[in-house]
Amino acid sequence: VAKLCVCDLLVAQCDVNCCCDPDCSAAEFSLFTTCSVPVVTGDSNLCSQKAAVYSLDVEADPPERIFELTDQVNPSVFCIHATNYEQALSFSSPEIPTSENFDQLLEQFGSAAFSAEPHSWNMNPDAQHPSDANETYRYEYGAPVQTVDAFLRLPSPVVSSWCSDVNPAGFLVNQATKCTRSVSVETCGSIPAVSMGFYINSSILAVKFVFQVNITVQSIVVQSLNGTRTLLNGSDVLRLPRILDELCINTVFRVSYHITYTDAGEIIEAAAAFVLGAINKEALSIQQSFEISFTQVDTTPVPLSGNPGYVVGLPIRAGFRPQGYPFPGEMLFAALVLNTNQYNQLTILQSTSSQDCLAAQGARTPVLFGYNMISGCKLRITAATKCQPLTQTLLDVLKGQSFPEYVASFGNSQAQDVLDWVPITHLYTSEERIYNTFQSSCQIPVSLEIEVKWTKYGSLVNPQARIVNVTATISTTTLKQLPSGRERTIPVTSSVVFTDISSPAEPGYKAWPTINVKLPFDFFFPFV
Amino acid sequence: LSSVPLQMLLYINGVYYIFYFLATLAMIVYKSQVFSYPDDFLAPDLVLLFMMAILEVLQLYLGSKGNLTEEEAPLGLSLAATVGSVLLSVYFLVWQTYVLRADVIISAVLLFTHGLEAALKVIAIAAFVS
Repeated sequence: VAKLCVCDLLVAQCDVNCCCDPDCSAAEFSLFTTCSVPVVTGDSNLCSQKAAVYSLDVEADPPERIFELTDQVNPSVFCIHATNYEQALSFSSPEIPTSENFDQLLEQFGSAAFSAEPHSWNMNPDAQHPSDANETYRYEYGAPVQTVDAFLRLPSPVVSSWCSDVNPAGFLVNQATKCTRSVSVETCGSIPAVSMGFYINSSILAVKFVFQVNITVQSIVVQSLNGTRTLLNGSDVLRLPRILDELCINTVFRVSYHITYTDAGEIIEAAAAFVLGAINKEALSIQQSFEISFTQVDTTPVPLSGNPGYVVGLPIRAGFRPQGYPFPGEMLFAALVLNTNQYNQLTILQSTSSQDCLAAQGARTPVLFGYNMISGCKLRITAATKCQPLTQTLLDVLKGQSFPEYVASFGNSQAQDVLDWVPITHLYTSEERIYNTFQSSCQIPVSLEIEVKWTKYGSLVNPQARIVNVTATISTTTLKQLPSGRERTIPVTSSVVFTDISSPAEPGYKAWPTINVKLPFDFFFPFV
Repeated sequence: LSSVPLQMLLYINGVYYIFYFLATLAMIVYKSQVFSYPDDFLAPDLVLLFMMAILEVLQLYLGSKGNLTEEEAPLGLSLAATVGSVLLSVYFLVWQTYVLRADVIISAVLLFTHGLEAALKVIAIAAFVS
């Protein structure tokens, strides 16, 4: 009873007005006004039980917390003097289903009603102290990931956008947070949260109290002041922030933790990838972003976009047929190369703030099912631009580096099922009617329109989306020769449209039952 | 000569036992409603209560008969039944599934009267044998 504290909600921090919180020191007790939890007792049905009484002595200066462990007596004549039945006064923990007892549990609890107690009690729960149960060291979903000193911190914005360092990372909870931290060039060496060491110093405990797992540095990307990022080769060196030429370099801008766990709830590997940057004299604060993701050991997760039909908002899965199979008509396809990297799926051009097609650096955004998108950029042509390289550049800008050949018709299509994949049809149209085809002119592609036709498939009650046809139409326009010195800007657009071509559903009903009655042959015997 | 204290005690015991039986039955019903009282534990308690009732009736009848007819044999059997009754009342005092304070009180009183009865029966048997 002395260890139970209902108001102790913050880990490793003192809760206000919580007199039973073990994290509070005497100085913090002197700031409390009342005790939110004055008494913690066991079951009040018992004739005598232990009670932990917490109170604040406000007369003393400074106020102190008084803790007494007393025996509370129940005066009623029907109080429980003794029980010979252990599980009488506590909630019973149900049996955890494993592969051995699953059948027996299913038989017992699988029907609409079952008796309150199972046949055998093979667990002996400790009713008084459920929190320090020694049988589970492993992590459970949401439990804070413990490290040697406290817990793995994922700084996140709390009330405002300023970073708070006391947000623990929960096990199996994939999170991404962004927050602002105030730094300046002078103090950048003294703030621990902008140095790499802060994030990889303390090693994670693999199971709650036993083994330690060191956090390895997976990769370091250095970002310069104008935004260019370079991946460093040797990522073993710990780069601490230091002042160089009025800039503070090696400040942490982004940390991505990748934690590998087993299905027994143990953490076996932890890696952190950093993006380090530089801050200059004028900067008063930087924005840091943090991410943590958990993967199970020996698995490579392939995200599905629906099961089986596409879910609105998830990216369309696409792939290529590997080289060497020149017979598109044959059914002997090899497995289609499934692209798990999101930037290799069906993507369209992403509009950037500079609106310049050539400076876009290949920024592309994945096509999400059900979301019609349109994007574009502007291309500046001078007199000196040549037709053929311009055409190639525009095709690259519109289609991207690896435009896929096939699109999955269901959200969970496997690469082996070739019939589940829909080929992308390419069409070329011209914006202007060419009346005079003999005049050789330069046709440059200026727009890409992808039309995805989808239909509803399956039952009436729960229709699933299925992609039936994908057509990519490239429209070209004539490039007129410019007089030298002049320049022109042409807009380049790409769009994705989703069209629902499902035919109206006709419910199929069973045939009405007919009454099939035939009177016997001699029913009207005497008369017929 | 029949022992008057023994007869008085047997009479009082009879009346008290009716009260005890009804009270214990009522408290078992109360316990089964208020607390978690699974069938595995409820059944033995009820069975033992009814067995105790049978033993008590036997013991009181045989004791009274033996005392009044001044014979040792019924008194001896009654003593044996008293031993069983004592054991059962100890069960209801200590080993029941839920022992309430009221249970403790009435079982202690029953145990006390049984003890006194047993002593008086032994004395009566000694008196009748000689």
